[in-house]
Amino acid sequence: MTKKNAILSLENICKIYQMDGISIKALNGVSLTIEEGEFVSVTGSSGSGKSTLMHIIGCLDVPTSGKVTLEHHEVSKLTERELAQIRNKKIGFVFQQFNLLARTSALENVSLPLVYNGTAESNIQGKAKEALEKVDLGDRLHHHPNQLSGGQQQRVAIARALVTDPAIILADEPTGNLDSKSGVEIIEIFKKLHEQGRTIVMVTHDQNIASQAQRIIKLRDGKIVS
Amino acid sequence: MPIKQLIRVAIKSLQTNKSRSLLTALGVIIGVASVILLVSVGSGLKDYITNQMQDMGSNLIMVMPGEIDLDKMGVGGGAMSGAFSSMASSKLKLEDMDEVEKIPQIEGAAAMIMASSPIRYKGESKSAQVIGTTENYINIRKTGFEKGSFFTKSEVNSGRKVAVLGYKVAEDLFGEENPIGEKVKLGEYRYQIMGVMEEKGGQGEMSPDDKVFVPITTAQRQFDNDNISLILAQVRSGDEVSSTVPLVEEVLKQRLEEKDFTVLDQKEILSTVSSILDTLTLALGGIAAISLLVGGIGIMNIMLVSVTERTHEIGLRKALGATPEVILTQFLVEAVFLSVGGGIAGIIVGSGGALLLSKFMPATVTLWSVMLAFIVSAAVGIIFGITPARRASQLSPIEALRYE
Repeated sequence: MTKKNAILSLENICKIYQMDGISIKALNGVSLTIEEGEFVSVTGSSGSGKSTLMHIIGCLDVPTSGKVTLEHHEVSKLTERELAQIRNKKIGFVFQQFNLLARTSALENVSLPLVYNGTAESNIQGKAKEALEKVDLGDRLHHHPNQLSGGQQQRVAIARALVTDPAIILADEPTGNLDSKSGVEIIEIFKKLHEQGRTIVMVTHDQNIASQAQRIIKLRDGKIVS
Repeated sequence: MPIKQLIRVAIKSLQTNKSRSLLTALGVIIGVASVILLVSVGSGLKDYITNQMQDMGSNLIMVMPGEIDLDKMGVGGGAMSGAFSSMASSKLKLEDMDEVEKIPQIEGAAAMIMASSPIRYKGESKSAQVIGTTENYINIRKTGFEKGSFFTKSEVNSGRKVAVLGYKVAEDLFGEENPIGEKVKLGEYRYQIMGVMEEKGGQGEMSPDDKVFVPITTAQRQFDNDNISLILAQVRSGDEVSSTVPLVEEVLKQRLEEKDFTVLDQKEILSTVSSILDTLTLALGGIAAISLLVGGIGIMNIMLVSVTERTHEIGLRKALGATPEVILTQFLVEAVFLSVGGGIAGIIVGSGGALLLSKFMPATVTLWSVMLAFIVSAAVGIIFGITPARRASQLSPIEALRYE
């Protein structure tokens, strides 16, 4: 079922959590392929397993069973250290809470992933600046998060996700903390990035937002229902 | 992650909580400063006493009345004051000194007694320590003269009322005047001054600067005391010192019925005193090191708080690709920064304090205590930083990101 230009494939993924001696099956045999350049949204009610799925796609966690392949790397059996390196190079995260470092300029926030992958110091600033210009924040390089609006902060976060040129941009409720106007702006940025050929996976419970994507994956009780 | 970046991140996070960082470092500052200060007092005391002992002359054997156990001797000038305080029970006589002097290995010997007496000249009066001694004293102490000369054997034998002043005594009483030939009143009697010793520096028991020297026979008469409280004997060469000690004991045993005296050689006293002072220095340093330990615990405490506070940030950094090692190093660098920064400040405070203290009492900052303090403070940072740093590095990124 793996297609030739598949960027990510999940095969029969199960994730079982142990809580107070009770096992909870968060994911129960999920198989999924995401192709290069796709804009996919993952939806489902809370408890449907979408967060768990996002963690596994984002290499923040490994499945209990099943196989995850990201750009020909089998990631389901990697160590904590190797996962960190994969996250750095292959995944660009955009969070609901923006998760920018406080008291740190936009430029430095965007530089952070580059610092962790050993990019030469002379190149870091240039790359970070370029990424911020892509999200129209070229004039806000030295602003701190508390000097930026919510929409601007989320654009800094998108720039940070783009700066390492990752295989997948993984957005977790990217509009959840924004007013509807800023939310629309952010979705427009994602659409633009999709047109430029980026692969985007967006997790959301909001049907309207989800419907902006090219493909919608619906989860219920740890299984893909459509 | 390059070390430059790590240091930048560490400085930034320490700056975020300036007063907290400062207070945490203060624990180490106090610890390091007190180690340096106390060790400097200990080693200063040792230098001081060693110098004073060596100032007395070389290859010396001392005979004191009464039995003195070196091991039970106190710290500091205990040897001397112990000897002089046992003067009352002293049975050593001037003739004993003559016999000691007859031993072939002995180059010269001097007897001493000590007393306190006011000394007056015209309107000026001051209290001085009077030392009654014999003519050889000056050869053994090897002190030069500012003016005049020391008294001679004939003056000792005839018990003339002549006096030699220490440099400070002469300065205080006479100022610019020439004291030679002048008469001072020592207690009830008038003494003619025949010399002023050159300045030796230092103070206390061993320094001649604030003493007045008179012939021992004169002193015995004035203070109504037939005994002597110390015999200083100089051995021909350093190699013969320890072999001469038993000879002196033998001679004195024949003259006195019981062994009511102690013969000590200078090196023995010196090594005992310095070993006592080394122990003291170590004990002082050890006590101070406890505060360094407490400072280390303070660092660990604040780093644990910091890890908890920054759980979310740690999660984010991990999501963005920071490996556990990078997180570990980051927090370790921060802890070491606190402790080394505190260590450097402590070295400055401690050395400055010791320098200030050295104006009032002997204190010398030793290089080894500074180095040790620096190394220990760095080690404290690593030892007490490793637990919080490990805790940070092992946080699960998912849990950490979820943490509010």
